[in-house]
Amino acid sequence: MLMPRKVRHRKTQRGRLKGQAKGGTSVTFGDYGIQALEPGWITARQIEAARVAMTRHIRRGGKVWINIFPDKPITAKPAETRMGSGKGNPEKWVAVVKPGRVMFELSYNDPAVARAAIERAIQKLPIKARFVAREEAL
Amino acid sequence: MDLELIVEPGRPCGTRHSRRLRAAGKVPGVVYGLGKDPVPVTVAWPELRRVLTTEAGQNALINLTVGEGESSLSIVKELQRHPVRREVLHVDFQLIDPNAPLAVEVPVVLVGRAEKVEQRKGIIDQLRHSIVVKAKPGNIPTQLDADVSGLEIGTAITVGDIVLPEGVTTDLDPETPVAQGSPTRSTILLDAQAARAQAASGTGGSAEGEATAAEPSGDAEAGGDD
Repeated sequence: MLMPRKVRHRKTQRGRLKGQAKGGTSVTFGDYGIQALEPGWITARQIEAARVAMTRHIRRGGKVWINIFPDKPITAKPAETRMGSGKGNPEKWVAVVKPGRVMFELSYNDPAVARAAIERAIQKLPIKARFVAREEAL
Repeated sequence: MDLELIVEPGRPCGTRHSRRLRAAGKVPGVVYGLGKDPVPVTVAWPELRRVLTTEAGQNALINLTVGEGESSLSIVKELQRHPVRREVLHVDFQLIDPNAPLAVEVPVVLVGRAEKVEQRKGIIDQLRHSIVVKAKPGNIPTQLDADVSGLEIGTAITVGDIVLPEGVTTDLDPETPVAQGSPTRSTILLDAQAARAQAASGTGGSAEGEATAAEPSGDAEAGGDD
């Protein structure tokens, strides 16, 4: 799973998810992509699940790009713990995603198979997302 | 084909005014170039869409008329789009000199069949989907074809391999790769099978060799196992 090798601060504040993606809103590397339609946190597990779903569907002959990286640590307190005594321990890593962000890209010869692979990967994500292609109609 | 477009000057600037324009089916924009002061303009969205959906795409040459003024040649320099809805939010028109070369981004299309890559079950990895070329307005190509029929796994088609039409040049390094043949898991499996088959035949050959010359054939066999 993706995670930073080294971080300056082990625990971060949650922050707010306002507005839309400022960059990375178009398909750059591949031919098709998954674009976020909602803000949210995508965990490293979800990124990996989406990647596996896509690569298993296309089997061989394609290429997958992951454009997001889970660099935000999320802490949690153990179950049945009383409140207080400090912030919990880092439990998972998430990528902060805003609407418009192209999270994954895929290049594959067959557009129908590519679309099906992307639809499967979208099922693994906690936010609404859609299939986008490189050629954008006006 | 000459594309005519009339834009209205004198729009009020600012977020609120621009939003009102967009709600009314218009697109705010700006006209600049040839040393003239930039002019904020408004263009009707259906008209803008008409001129940008030709074969030339975003590099279409437009005869732009600002209000009641004279028509002058221009291109769309930049198109800002909404990240989710993909609506056109703003458009930049650049006035151009019909006799001076200008730099434009032209899409690269891969043509031909890379049989050697297909035989080894590899893929063609397109690294550049467009390149910046310099050409006079009349010579701007709609697309550049990159022939991949000679491509093999481990080799690349470079910018230098693309045949540019007459009057078109590029400042890019000719060695810049455009597309490359990349191996897949299937290629690795195929190569491993081929290596095993070769090793097996090599072992048979060295066994024969052992009968005649003992020392060298033993070394060859060890090498084959590695």
